[in-house]
Amino acid sequence: MLRITGGKIYDPASGINGEIRTLYIEDGRFVASGEGGRTIDAAGMIVFPGGVDVHTHVAGGAINFARAMTPEDHRRTQAFIRSQTRRSGLGGMAPTTFATGYLYAGMGFTTVNEAAVPVLSARHTHEELSDIPIVDKSSLVLMANNELLLDQLDAGEYERARSILAWYIRAAGSWGIKAVNPGGVAAWKWGGNAGQLTETVDGFRHVTPGTIVASLARMCHDLNLPHPLHLHCNNLGAPGNVSTTLETLRHLEGHRAHIAHSQYHAYGGDDWDTMRSATSDLADWFNTHDNLTTDAGAVLFGDTVTITADGPWQHLLYRLTGRKWGNLDVENETGCGIVPYTYRPGHLVNAVQWAAGLELLLLIEDPWKVFLSTDHPNGGCFWRYPEILELLMCADYRQECLRQLPDRIRSRILLPEIDREYSLYDVATAMSAGPAQALGLPRKGSLAVGCDADVVIYEEDDNIRRMFSHPRYVIKSGEIVIEDGDIRETPDGREFLVQPHCDPDTETFIRPLFEDCYTMSFDNYPVEPHRIPRAEIHHRPASP
Amino acid sequence: MGGKVTCTLGEVKNRADFIVYWGGNPAECHPRHFTKYTLMQKSRWLPRGRKDRTMVLVDIRETKSAKAADIFLQVRPGCDFELLSILRAMVRDEPVDPDAVAETGIAYDVLEDLVRRMKSCRFGCMFFGMGLSMTRGKHMNSAALLTLAAELNAFTKFVAMPMRGHGNVTGADVIMRWQTGYPFGITFNRGYPRYNPGEFSTVDVLVRGDCDAAFIIGADPGATMPQPAIDHLARIPTIVLDPHVTHTSRLARVHITTAPAGIAAPGTAYRMDEIPLPLKPALKSPYPTDEEIVRRIREAVATRPFWMPEDSPQMTTEQL
Amino acid sequence: MIRLTLKRPPAVPLEAEVLSPSLLAGLSHTEICGLHLYHGKRRMRVDEFFDVEGERSSTVDITGDLRRVRWLGRGMTDGTLTIHGSAGMHLGARMKGGRIEVFGNADDWVGAEMTNGLVRIHGHAGGQIGGAYRGSLRGMKNGTIIVEGTAGLEVGLRMRRGTIVIGGRVRDFCGLQMKGGTIILLDGAEIRTGAWMNRGTILSLRSLKLLPTFRFACYDNPTFIGVHARFLKPLGIRLPHAPTEGSWARYCGDFCVPGKGEIFIWHPAAAPEPAVSEL
Repeated sequence: MLRITGGKIYDPASGINGEIRTLYIEDGRFVASGEGGRTIDAAGMIVFPGGVDVHTHVAGGAINFARAMTPEDHRRTQAFIRSQTRRSGLGGMAPTTFATGYLYAGMGFTTVNEAAVPVLSARHTHEELSDIPIVDKSSLVLMANNELLLDQLDAGEYERARSILAWYIRAAGSWGIKAVNPGGVAAWKWGGNAGQLTETVDGFRHVTPGTIVASLARMCHDLNLPHPLHLHCNNLGAPGNVSTTLETLRHLEGHRAHIAHSQYHAYGGDDWDTMRSATSDLADWFNTHDNLTTDAGAVLFGDTVTITADGPWQHLLYRLTGRKWGNLDVENETGCGIVPYTYRPGHLVNAVQWAAGLELLLLIEDPWKVFLSTDHPNGGCFWRYPEILELLMCADYRQECLRQLPDRIRSRILLPEIDREYSLYDVATAMSAGPAQALGLPRKGSLAVGCDADVVIYEEDDNIRRMFSHPRYVIKSGEIVIEDGDIRETPDGREFLVQPHCDPDTETFIRPLFEDCYTMSFDNYPVEPHRIPRAEIHHRPASP
Repeated sequence: MGGKVTCTLGEVKNRADFIVYWGGNPAECHPRHFTKYTLMQKSRWLPRGRKDRTMVLVDIRETKSAKAADIFLQVRPGCDFELLSILRAMVRDEPVDPDAVAETGIAYDVLEDLVRRMKSCRFGCMFFGMGLSMTRGKHMNSAALLTLAAELNAFTKFVAMPMRGHGNVTGADVIMRWQTGYPFGITFNRGYPRYNPGEFSTVDVLVRGDCDAAFIIGADPGATMPQPAIDHLARIPTIVLDPHVTHTSRLARVHITTAPAGIAAPGTAYRMDEIPLPLKPALKSPYPTDEEIVRRIREAVATRPFWMPEDSPQMTTEQL
Repeated sequence: MIRLTLKRPPAVPLEAEVLSPSLLAGLSHTEICGLHLYHGKRRMRVDEFFDVEGERSSTVDITGDLRRVRWLGRGMTDGTLTIHGSAGMHLGARMKGGRIEVFGNADDWVGAEMTNGLVRIHGHAGGQIGGAYRGSLRGMKNGTIIVEGTAGLEVGLRMRRGTIVIGGRVRDFCGLQMKGGTIILLDGAEIRTGAWMNRGTILSLRSLKLLPTFRFACYDNPTFIGVHARFLKPLGIRLPHAPTEGSWARYCGDFCVPGKGEIFIWHPAAAPEPAVSEL
C-alpha cells in the first residue's frame, strides 16, 4: 500500500482539475482506499498521471543506425554511470536503451509508443524495447508501402488486404499500424516519390496514396484496433505541403486517424524562400472534425538526428546539408533514412518550423486532440519536452524567444498573435490523458481507481522548465522509481500487443507470395509472442 | 561526409540489375550469395533472372568469382582508394588524368563504361569484402566506396553493403550499439561506455598489451590476430568460451565448452544486412550455453566487493 | 614548479587527465597527491603512481616512462607542461592554451580537437595529430603542433585552423578531410596526402605522390608562405620561400569531394627539372 496525500490532483480523464485528494495504490493499481504502508506527503505538490509519448523512435533498426552514425554526440552528452543495480548508458540525440528508460522516467513519462517498426526486423525492435527499463511500451508496424498489401489493394481485393494486414500486425507483435508517406517509400525503391494523392504509385496499376490512406483507415476500424491509423502524410517537410495534408484529411473523412508530427505537414509557400506556416488551415480542420487526433512534432533549436521511414525526403535533406546520410531499404516493406541536422534560429525555414509546432499546439483548441511530441529525435530529443511546456505555458517567454528570431520571420508565422497559455490541466491532457486515449491503451493516462499506478509528482515551481524536468517523485506501477532526482528502482516495463482477428487461411495465402519475394524462411518471419518478455496481449474480435 | 546507404538483401534479389563485388570472393567465401540474393534469382522486376543483371567484380586477382562476372576489373594492389577517388570524380564529370587512371591497372575507357553503367542502371548495389576493408587504407577504403554509392543516388538508385562473415559478428555490433551507443572498440573503465577504435579495439589493446585479462566468446583471435596480440593472450589469464577447442583455447588458462548456437542453443542471429533471425536448435547439447556461463560468472562476480568507488555519481555531463 | 616522477610503470593504461597545469596551478601538495587517476578501471591517487614535489604552480614537469599514461594536459588553458620521457595517447587533447613540450615520443591523438596552445614533440608521434575524434566534424581549431620526428596516419584529420609541422616522414592520409589550417611537411609523406580535403593548405619540402584527383595549377611564391616562415623561425624551423631559393608547385583538390584545398610542393631553384613526381 502506498498513499499520496495532500497533493493537487490533475486527472483530465476523470475531470479532476487541481483538487486536493488522496491516492491509494496497491499491487500496481489505484484502489479506492487502504491502510498501512508508506505515505507520500504531497502537500504543495502537483500530481499528474505518468506521461505517455504517443510518437517516438526509441528502438529498432533505424534509431540503432542513427546511434552508429553519431559517436560525436554520444561523447558530448550526459552519461549514466553504472552502479550495482543500474546499467550504464548515454543520453543525447539517440540515447542508448537503458538511458532511454532513465531519461523518460526521470521526466515523469511512464509509457512510450515506438512509432515505426518494419515486420522484417520487428524481432530486433522487441529485443531492444525489452532493454528499455521502467517504462511500458507499445509499437506500430509500418504498412503503407508493404508490397504484398499494396498488390491486393491494386487488385481491388480489400478483404484479402485486410486479412494480410491483420496477419502482419500479429507477426510483428504490434499495437497498431503506421503509414509513412503512403506509396512514396515504395516508389523510393526506384529512387522516386509519391506527392499527389490521386496519382498511381510507381510500379502499380491502380493504387494511389489516397486509396492506401482511406483503405488502411477503414481496416483499422474493421479490425477493431485500439489505435486508429497512425499516419505520416505524403510530402513531409516540403514548402506548400499543407494542401497535400488537407487532401489527405479529406480522404480520411468518416474514419478515425491519428496524424503524426503535423508540424512537418503544415507549410505554405512555393519553395524554401517563400515557405511560411500554414498551421491555421490545419488547426481549423482539427477544430471542426472529431475523427482526428494529432501530435505536434514540434521543433526545438539545436542539434539532432532525423530518422524517418521517408527515404526520399532524407535523400533530399542529405543533398541540402551535405552531411552524413544513412539509408536502409527494407525488402517489400519500407525503408528508412537518417541525416544529422541542426535547427538554427537564424535560418528562416527552421524558424518557421519552430513556430509551426507551437502554433498547432496552441491553435487546436481541444488538448484531447493535439499531443506533445517532437517526433523524437526528429524535431528535438524527447528529454527536451519541458522546454516546450515552458513555451506553451508562458506567453511572455514565447515573445522573448520570438524576439531572437530574424524580423522577416514575422510575416510568415502566426505565433506572435497567439496569447493562449496552457493550464496545468491542459498539460496533463496533452502529455498523458490524451495520448493514452488516442493509443487506446488500457489503464493509462488516468489516476482513477483500477488504472495503472503511474504517477508523477512535481514540486510547484514558477520555473516551469525546472518543474517538469525534475519531478520530485515518479511512480511506475506503484513502485517509486525516481525520488529527489535519484533513480531508485529500474523495474522492467511491459509491452502491449494487439492480436486482431485473422482469417485462418491467410497464412496459406501469404506463404507462396512471401517465398517469392523475401529472403528469409517464412516460418522464421513472425515474432513469437512468447519471445517478447512481459508481453500483455490483447485479443480483438473483428468489428460487428 | 560519411554515412551508409544500404538495404536488406531482398531488395537486391528483387531489384538489383547492376551488382559490383569489390575486394571479395563470394564464390568461395559466401557461396550462396549468388544463388540466393544477387545473380540467379528471378523477380517481378527481373523476370529473366541472371540475364537481367550485370555483375562486375573488382579484385587484385582473378578468383573463382571472376567466372560468374560479366566484367572483371583487375585493380593493381593498393590502388583501390585511388580507383574509387577516380570514379567519384568521373561520376561528377570532373576531368581525370588518364596516366593516373592507367596506374590503377584499369584502362580509361573501361572506367568510362563502368561509370555509364553505374549511372544508367535502375538499381545498383556494391558489396565489398576484406580485400577492400582490410588492406592499406582500411576504413577509408570502405568510406570511399560507401560515399561513391551515396553520391550515385543523384542519378539512380544505388546502395552498398559490407560482406560480413563469421557467425554473428553483426549481432554483436547491433546489440553493442543499442546498449552502449557504439558498435565496437568500447571501454567501460570509467563506468560508462567510451569509444575509440584503434585505442579500445581488441587487436590494438592486445598488441599494445593494454589489458591484464581476456575473455573470448565465439571468436578465435589465436588463429587470426598478429603475433604480438597472440603472445599477449598467452601471457595474461585468458578464458575462452567456444563449442570447439580453438587455437585460442590452447593458449588460454581456461576453456569452457559451450553448446553451439543455432544447433543446440537458441537465440537471435543478425544477418549481414542486420535482419534478425531466430535460432531454433535442432539438438540438445550436454554443454551449457554461452549465455548461461556468462550469467553464472556475472553472478559470482557480483558476490565480490563492487569495484566502483562508493562516491561515484549517478551521471556525468563531463565525459573524458 | 611542480615536479612529478613516475614511481612504477602502470600495468594497464593510466588515465591522467587531471595532470594538467591549469588544474594543478591552484592546488596544494596534499590536494595534488589526492587527485584521482584511473589505472584501468581502478581509481587511484596521484601519489600512488607519482612522487610529487612542489605545489601551486602552472609549470609542471613530469618524468618517467609515460607511454601508458594517457590524456596528459587534456583541456589545459595555460601554463607549461614538460615531459621527460615518452607520453601516451591524447596528449594535450582539447587543450585551449599553454604549452606542452615532450623530450621523447608521443602516441596517437596529440592535440586532438585542440583550440589553441603549442605542443612540441622532440621525438616521434603517432597518428591523428590535431585530429577530430571519430565522427566529429572538426579537428583542431587553432594552435600549433610541432613534431620533430615522424608521424603516423591521418595527421590533421578534419582540422579547421592552426598549424601542424612534422619534421620526419608522415604516413598515409595526411590532411584527411581537412577543412582549413596548414600542415607543413619537412620530409614529405607517404601516400594519399590531402585526401578528401575541402580547404586548407599542405606544404611539403619533399616530393609527394598525389592522388589522381589533384590538379597542378602553377608555380608560385605566395606571400602567405613568407608569413608562415616568419612565424616558424623563432621555433627553430626554416621554411624556404624567397623566389631566389626556388618556387612552390601548387596543386588543387581534392576534386572527388570536390574541394578547394591546396598542396604546395617545394622546388629548389638549383634543380633545373622538377625533382618530384607530379601524378
